Amino acid sequence: MTNSWLRPWRDRAFQLLALAISIAGFALSSIILLHAELEQRFAVRTAEMLGGELALTGTRAPEPAQIELIKTNATATVVDFSTVLVLNDELLLVSARAVDNKYPLYGQMQIASGRFEGTHAVQAGPTPGEVWVADQVLDRLHVQPGDELNIGQKKLKLSAVIRQLPDQSAGFYSMSPRIVFNQHDLEATGVLGPGTRITYRQMISGDAGQISRLQKNLEPTLRPDQRLEDIENAAVRSMGPLKQLTLWANLAVLLVSMLCGATIYLATSERVAHRSRLAGLLRSFGAPRRQIISRLLGSEFIAILPASAIGSLVGIALISILRQSLDWQGSMAATSVQWLTILFAPMVLWLAFALPRLTALVRVPAIDVLNQRNKPKPLSTNIELTAALGAPVLLAGFLTSSLADLGNLLALLVILGAGLPALLWPLLKGLDLVSGKLPLASRLALRRLSRRPSLTLPLLAALTMAMAVLALAGQTGNQLLDDWRSRLPEQAPNHFVLNLFEKDFDTFNTWLEKQEAITQPLYPIVRGRLTEINGVPVSQAVTKEKENRNEALNRDLALTEAADMLPSNKINEGAWHPAKNTVSVEQELADRLGLRLGDKLLFITSQGSINTEIASLREVDWDTFEPNFYFMFAPGGLAEQDVTWLTGFWLPTGDGKRLAELMLQLPHITLLDVNTLLNKANEIIGQASAATALLAALLMLAATLVLTAALLGGQAQRGRDNALLRTLGGNRALLYRVTWAEFITLCGCAALAAMIIIFAALYPLTAQLLNDNPTLSYWQLIPLLIGLGVAGVGVLASRGALRKPALSLLRDEA
Amino acid sequence: MNKNLEIELPSTGAPLLQAESLLQAESVGKTVPGPDGELTLLEDIDFTLSPGQSVAITGPSGSGKSTLLGLLAGLDTPTSGEVLLDGKPFSKLDEDGRAVRRGELCAFVFQHFHLVNDLNALENVMLPLELKGAASPRKTASHWLQRVGLEHRLKHFPATLSGGEQQRVALARAFAVQPQLLFADEPTGSLDHANGGRIGELLFDLNRESGTALVLVTHDQQLAKRCQRHLQLEEGRLFERSESSIESLAEAATESSAQ
Repeated sequence: MTNSWLRPWRDRAFQLLALAISIAGFALSSIILLHAELEQRFAVRTAEMLGGELALTGTRAPEPAQIELIKTNATATVVDFSTVLVLNDELLLVSARAVDNKYPLYGQMQIASGRFEGTHAVQAGPTPGEVWVADQVLDRLHVQPGDELNIGQKKLKLSAVIRQLPDQSAGFYSMSPRIVFNQHDLEATGVLGPGTRITYRQMISGDAGQISRLQKNLEPTLRPDQRLEDIENAAVRSMGPLKQLTLWANLAVLLVSMLCGATIYLATSERVAHRSRLAGLLRSFGAPRRQIISRLLGSEFIAILPASAIGSLVGIALISILRQSLDWQGSMAATSVQWLTILFAPMVLWLAFALPRLTALVRVPAIDVLNQRNKPKPLSTNIELTAALGAPVLLAGFLTSSLADLGNLLALLVILGAGLPALLWPLLKGLDLVSGKLPLASRLALRRLSRRPSLTLPLLAALTMAMAVLALAGQTGNQLLDDWRSRLPEQAPNHFVLNLFEKDFDTFNTWLEKQEAITQPLYPIVRGRLTEINGVPVSQAVTKEKENRNEALNRDLALTEAADMLPSNKINEGAWHPAKNTVSVEQELADRLGLRLGDKLLFITSQGSINTEIASLREVDWDTFEPNFYFMFAPGGLAEQDVTWLTGFWLPTGDGKRLAELMLQLPHITLLDVNTLLNKANEIIGQASAATALLAALLMLAATLVLTAALLGGQAQRGRDNALLRTLGGNRALLYRVTWAEFITLCGCAALAAMIIIFAALYPLTAQLLNDNPTLSYWQLIPLLIGLGVAGVGVLASRGALRKPALSLLRDEA
Repeated sequence: MNKNLEIELPSTGAPLLQAESLLQAESVGKTVPGPDGELTLLEDIDFTLSPGQSVAITGPSGSGKSTLLGLLAGLDTPTSGEVLLDGKPFSKLDEDGRAVRRGELCAFVFQHFHLVNDLNALENVMLPLELKGAASPRKTASHWLQRVGLEHRLKHFPATLSGGEQQRVALARAFAVQPQLLFADEPTGSLDHANGGRIGELLFDLNRESGTALVLVTHDQQLAKRCQRHLQLEEGRLFERSESSIESLAEAATESSAQ
């Protein structure tokens, strides 16, 4: 009895089962941990954008009662407003921000000591008496660090150049450059008069429980001008790669669960066949059900535990290594619930997939021993199928709590995964019926498949799922990487120039050529403010609440005209410039302002006004490093306006003197260096790519495991068949032909079904992951290649069954 | 019964015998590795079977009956000595060679029937005919199933047949290829007394009508008694039993079963 937990390991079916549980443990633990890491990074990134886990925004300072509620949490306060800087007769509208000493709660500020100096990170904002300004301020006002600037009535010393604030929104250029100073100086500036439009922003950090309690307490105290934003509802635009990767990881959890489940199911079927004689014997000895459960299922359970633990440990080790290699700091992100899940998930899979089959052992009647029958009757097929299909879905839902995101895909996979083999079944039966004229080997192979539904159908389903997953993982993984690469090509523009005039083009182009810079198209820019929608002033057309959310209404917008749409943009409604005097509007802004196709807009510009009509609503990818516009007019729409030009260019690394030279020649232009943003985006993409590759590898490993289980699954039966054929005079060549025909037919059917699944799943998958339409690629034909490969490996793996000595029939080893 | 045999059967391509002895074992021995060194299962077996002759091999459990049958049928190879089939080396052929020779000359009946579960009765009988490349396997198979009284069960799968019926299908499968030599391993061992008796009867009837030689491994002394010769295996050695000793054994068996 001491080694009763070792005994099951002698059975090959159990070894396979244990391997499947180990891989499940490995795959699930690594995916759960990776998922947790990604979620945390996603949350941190969102928190950085929001400034904290919760943000309380209003046009006045928070009430004392609210401060009282918040004070137990770490908080930072910023006050945002627009003001004008005046220096040497130059006027410059700026977005000013007064920060307290706690700012920023998350992330770092990237600053530089001079216009063309390198960037470095700091954790705290300017001290009292100091002001930091964006590069454009230096260019427009011709000042440099060390100079003094007047903010209202207060003189502040310009001490650094801002390159990036952690909560800087995705649009990296703005008509009003940013300045930051200490809140201590705010009152002294005297700019906070009654007419000034001010935003008070209280950023709060805390754990999920604290934040949700705080949110609940704060909600009833909110004034009409105040609103609360948390990470969940933050109006932060898609986080690009991180968001996609999180979705992809969710999908991976689901698919790996299904694949490992399929392996467990197949291996258990084999295991049950091996153990049923013992079950029948125990029954014939008078063992009660309870005893059979403890003897057969109990030892099975104990024996499976180390396999599960080893798999999970390897997964944990892998993620630790990955974290080190990607330089992810801090302790692991998984919560205690997630650690518990890691511990129990493989066992849940085992319970769902193996137990319904194993319980068949309890019901083996003693008479089966006498009848030499070794196939116990399974529990109701419906129960088994429900358990087998429900378990990974529930598990994945539990793990990712984002079934809503993947709902349609999930339903599709479940329906097709279970339904297609059933649909293919009549095809197999039909082939059998018309197989009379086929060669003997093909006929025998077809009969083996078409007359053993309990063996063939699960095999077919498992092979189909594995092939579909392999191909889908390959294609979507590749597409994700391509998508990311295309967003940030190696020579993505790392500088942007605004306020360029037509007369500057020659000077500018000469400079670009000299620096071997790579140029981008030029966009005409007209500053304009949206004032009327369908003849109704914006202040009436848009509610106060909406207006507060829309910076677009409170500032000058960069209007442009273009004959062609930007490659990263997509028309959601309407058509691209069907007529002159039409405009295309960015979808999110249109939603926020309640704009529809056909609405008439009025913009006020320095040269008068522009009347236009909305002809299309456009989706914009803000994560690309190319200029994006809320309003794009049809060519000619900005005629007779004051036009300046905007463009981007890629400048090879080198010293800052080159840019200083340009600024000297064209002192009125605004030059933005986005290298810092670009590097950060590149870093995220690098990490996301590594994680994607890891997930794809895990998926492929799980799929390969299913294929292995599928191949080994029917070996015992194949061995019996072959021994009998040999006894009756069949030679080895015939046995090989039968085996080949069997695997080719099986894999062919599975490949066919997998291709149907891929075509059906690709649309929702690419729409969800890539926000794009699926493209045809060679990945969709992969199941055919996999099928051929699997058939080959299947025949190789069947060599044991091909060599099964005919003598075994006499010895009743079969 | 003989009426059925008047049907003209399609040829199954069984070759004509060329040697006087159909099956011959020369000093055949078999050892296997055991926990305490080599374990001798069979030793110095000399044995000859003429065409059409029937021989019963009996012996206590573990005496090596099934091992001997396996060696004689080419399912296994001896560690010493040689088996000849139709005067030609058999045990020294490779596995494929033995399978082909077996397919040409031999047939089997097993204790546990060993029908292919996913083939119906007709297809089970057709299987060896198809392996041999016989001209009209379906017609021949139907004839033999009719001959064993299962003409109404042609499309039935083994799971829906009784033990006795399954063994009838196995007999039809064995005789359908018109073998020169039939190996039968405890053919009644899995059946009740009445069914066993009927299958024994059918086996010897078909054997006699077909003129097939028979090697029968059995515990059933009554069945053994119906063979022309009776060999006894004891501790790996083979002894020819005389008529009188067979009779006394049969009597003893009858008495013990009566008690």
